[in-house]
Amino acid sequence: MEDFVDSFDRQVDDILYWLTDNAAFLFDAARYALEGLYDGVLWALIAAPFYAVAVVLGLAAWRMIGLVPGIVTALALAACYAMGLWAETMETLALVFAASVIALAISLPVGILAGFFPRLDRALMPTLDLIQTMPPYIYLLPAIALLGYGPATALAATVIVAMPPAIRLTSLGIRETPHEFVELGQASGVTNLQMFFKIRLPFAVPSIMAGINQSLMMAFGMVVIAGIVGSGGLGETIYGAIRTLDISTSINASIAIVVLTMVLDRITQSAARKK
Amino acid sequence: MENAEVLIDCQSVWKVFGDRNAEAIEAITSQGLSKRDVLRDYGCVVGVSDASLQVRRGEIFCIMGLSGSGKSTLIRLLNRLIEPSLGTVLVKGQDISKMDAAALRRTRAEHIGMVFQSVALLPQRNVLENAAFGLEVQGIPRDERNRAAAAALAKVGLSDWTKHYPSELSGGMQQRVGLARALAADPEIILMDEPFSALDPLIRRQLQDEFRQLTKELGKSAVFITHDLDEAIRIGDRIAIMKDGALIQVGTAEDIVMDPADQYVADFVAGISRLHLIKAHSVMVPVADWDGPVDDLPRCDPEADIDALIAQITETSADALAVEEDGRVVGVVSVRNLLLGVRGEAGADPIGAEA
Ligand SMILES: Nc1ncnc2c1ncn2[C@@H]1O[C@H](COP(=O)(O)OP(=O)(O)OP(=O)(O)O)[C@@H](O)[C@H]1O
Ligand SMILES: [Mg+2]
Repeated sequence: MEDFVDSFDRQVDDILYWLTDNAAFLFDAARYALEGLYDGVLWALIAAPFYAVAVVLGLAAWRMIGLVPGIVTALALAACYAMGLWAETMETLALVFAASVIALAISLPVGILAGFFPRLDRALMPTLDLIQTMPPYIYLLPAIALLGYGPATALAATVIVAMPPAIRLTSLGIRETPHEFVELGQASGVTNLQMFFKIRLPFAVPSIMAGINQSLMMAFGMVVIAGIVGSGGLGETIYGAIRTLDISTSINASIAIVVLTMVLDRITQSAARKK
Repeated sequence: MENAEVLIDCQSVWKVFGDRNAEAIEAITSQGLSKRDVLRDYGCVVGVSDASLQVRRGEIFCIMGLSGSGKSTLIRLLNRLIEPSLGTVLVKGQDISKMDAAALRRTRAEHIGMVFQSVALLPQRNVLENAAFGLEVQGIPRDERNRAAAAALAKVGLSDWTKHYPSELSGGMQQRVGLARALAADPEIILMDEPFSALDPLIRRQLQDEFRQLTKELGKSAVFITHDLDEAIRIGDRIAIMKDGALIQVGTAEDIVMDPADQYVADFVAGISRLHLIKAHSVMVPVADWDGPVDDLPRCDPEADIDALIAQITETSADALAVEEDGRVVGVVSVRNLLLGVRGEAGADPIGAEA
């Protein structure tokens, strides 16, 4: 048994080494792509003055939720600036945004397909279960081996963690169209495309939006954990502060994380409730 | 009506649900198993068994039966929302089970509208967009389909509600939108699966009358499902009684009440008021059987119902009425005949028996 375990471990190591030796160009390309996306988003966020970002997010919260949450959002972001954590806050936001965009670009189409083909859904479920039950920082290991220290690794691991809820809830939403509306479509003589766009999708939107919201929250959690691998942002600030027992900085950074999480959570949740 | 074109011709159609339905059908046709045998031996449910019916142009055809008798299954066989296990359904002379997907879509979109018990209004769309749905899927331009939808909504009295959402409407109004949606696409046939069952009695009566009037005005044909015999009688030109998946009697309300096919139907019609159902020609006796002079009697129409005859006879204080058709007296209705009619019995010596 021990022999077997040893040889299994050696195999895995060998595969990773082989990949780093022979497929380096592939992972370099992936790394440039990921970092490029991240840098682009970050550039946009940093280029704007802090009050512009605070006002825009505040207005978004006002439109989506209400006046008081809007004001609270703007003030909370201003507080992040006042604590001297503005750059880190924006880095975290850029990481979450970039990772979520990639995760959703993959998981929404996959989720829709899984909604149509129960077999695909059944085949995917064990994988998604596995991804969700493993401790999330596990994904940093292969990522750091292949992509190195930095935001690209953080993004790759975050994408993996953020995908399952969106796939699950999109598939569920597509599958659970009320039977009477499927019948209405058939009796009205719809084509397959019309059935999807005019009937199934509108009923699936709330479920899909809930999936997007959950993916975003997973991405947040993971981005902070990824501070260990030099992702930049608030996660790295907290990691550094813990190592040097700098309690006040770690508390400030935690507050900034809570603020950011709540703002994005509330905004996407109310988007899910609206049409 | 008997000579009008047959729009739906349903010929010995069966529907058996279950994994072993092929074997079950085989056993039914070769050994004549009953619904209960099939469930016991094959674990299959017989939804519809050997149903044949014709719906003609301009006719409202009611299918009446208790819960679980197979009404919803039968009506869904008519537009192939459910595939028959055996038998054929012809719509305007074409076998719908042989149609390819495109032809089936066209038939459903252009010739057969459907109204559901659950209404099934799309909650994300307003009333106008819901009513226009059928035309929208046919690719009709927005202006044109909105005009047709608005016209259909006007017919059901909902012109002021076009911009509202279904959740803002009462049950009766929602059901009207469902009807308008079916009418907007201007199909020849409308299938209605218990559309009014969820409504309270007053609204229901009102919708029944409106529906019948509208259908007749527009010259549509309809298959109307109900579990309520009163509703079937109010609405239907002909009524089919369904039991355990089979049609056990098809005929006019008068046929069914006067001459129930079996005890099951007889029990059903026992409580039904005959006043508006039974016509003079069913209760009259031949002129020869009337002892008095016919010429002095007040005249009535053979299609007048008992209620009208009673009103006439009490007003004129005559003992009997002479039934006149094409200027000729064809029979006599006495007070005694009317009383028999109220009890659901034909005249002592029905004319039909001699003819
Ligand atoms: N998809 C299905 N699979 C298996 N059995 C079915 C299915 N649909 C209907 N049945 C069975 O067929 C029979 C007839 O059902 P149907 O829904 O047609 O009845 P119904 O007359 O419309 O009843 P109700 O008045 O309650 O709507 C029932 O015994 C039902 O259990
Ligand atoms: Mg039913």
